[in-house]
Amino acid sequence: MSVGAAFSVELRERLTPLFGADIAIERLALLAGGASKEAWALDLRTPQGTRELLVRRAGGGVIHQETLTLEHEHRLLEVAFAAGVRVPKPYGYLGEIAGRPAFVSERVSGETIGRRIVQRPDLAAARAVLPVQIAEELAKIHAIPAERVPFLGGGGAAVILRRLTDEVDLLGDAHPAIELGLAWAKRQAPEQSETVVLHGDLRVGNLAVTPTGLGHVLDWEFGHYGDPAEDVAWPLVRAWRFGIDQLRLGGIGEVEPYLEHYNALTGRHITLDSLDYWEIVGNLKWAIGALTQSRRHLSGQQRSVELAVLGRLAAEMEYELLHLLERAG
Amino acid sequence: MQDRPSAAELAQAVREFIETEVLPGIDDPRLRFRMLVAANGLGILEREIGTGAPLVRREVESLARLLDHADPLPDDIDELRRRAGDLNRELALRIRGGDTPEGTLAHCVTTVADKLRVASPRYLERYR
Repeated sequence: MSVGAAFSVELRERLTPLFGADIAIERLALLAGGASKEAWALDLRTPQGTRELLVRRAGGGVIHQETLTLEHEHRLLEVAFAAGVRVPKPYGYLGEIAGRPAFVSERVSGETIGRRIVQRPDLAAARAVLPVQIAEELAKIHAIPAERVPFLGGGGAAVILRRLTDEVDLLGDAHPAIELGLAWAKRQAPEQSETVVLHGDLRVGNLAVTPTGLGHVLDWEFGHYGDPAEDVAWPLVRAWRFGIDQLRLGGIGEVEPYLEHYNALTGRHITLDSLDYWEIVGNLKWAIGALTQSRRHLSGQQRSVELAVLGRLAAEMEYELLHLLERAG
Repeated sequence: MQDRPSAAELAQAVREFIETEVLPGIDDPRLRFRMLVAANGLGILEREIGTGAPLVRREVESLARLLDHADPLPDDIDELRRRAGDLNRELALRIRGGDTPEGTLAHCVTTVADKLRVASPRYLERYR
């Protein structure tokens, strides 16, 4: 895609304090666009050689309410990077470029498409080590001191369930299966739990995976405080198994060794029962999320065939939710 | 009455055009993905035109049983959809108020399975 000259000029200006005056934009291409966020591949010539960078920039539409601003997402990336989490190296928040906020980070390679990660034959060795590596990254994220990211919102089960109920009330029609799930989750909510920094969306599909294993943890816009078990259970949700349903951990592995490794690293005692609970909440989150996203299309906030069809696919999460509820009793 | 192709046949024609003529020529992976989503959307439309009405009737019958409503069901499909919406709202309120009718879980499993018969039949077949 060709880029407006004003955009390139302004971008180059903002990059100067970070990379020096002797730079030139060699390539700038839109990788993913949308009303909420854009991702640009940027090859930047510097005296030290060409750097492969990624520019994340706000889209023209309304940002999803529950996501971090680009400035906060960049700050969270910086803090996570300093904590040794495998994230693309953040280079700096750029302020507004042509009227919209943006930041720049390292551009990493690796497979990011969930369906390919669970299927590609040449990623078999990666799949063997990914469960333990995901546990390691979660352990590091959950150890980030909360005071370094004071802008994060969220909370324990009660806070999340209240937010989900509010979102259901905004849908405009009733969903008995989801109500059953919310009622169960409220009854069974853990009374008290510790609250830590969570990635919020760590799963297959938000990782860059190379043939040797986990390259980088991506997509930090859902970062929030919460029960660590919420993050540990999220990659178990069936939608993130990409068709390899018998492997409960993201279509790549079994849950037990993953959980044991996480507990050993963190000294926590998260139980399989707790993961069962948060897997149900995870299915609720994604069922309600899919319905909410389709409303963005229907309301005209962001017209998109993808968002429209998501409204019908919420039934998949409802079906899984009901079976998990049946099993939980 | 409109001439053929029927609504379902027309949706099928557009879907087949996307799948056989448009998709093979698209290299941009983002556009390709949205094209597949669009074809899937037309598939949903075909199935809904073909089998949607009896499924709505079945849902309303089940809801009426669950909620002890004896009034006769409307024949008109739009009326039936409105009734389904009303009864679902009533059931949702009962669940939220802690007064879940006996048999609600089984009703929901059947009803959501019927939604999947239209929205995602392959998911339903694969589900174990």
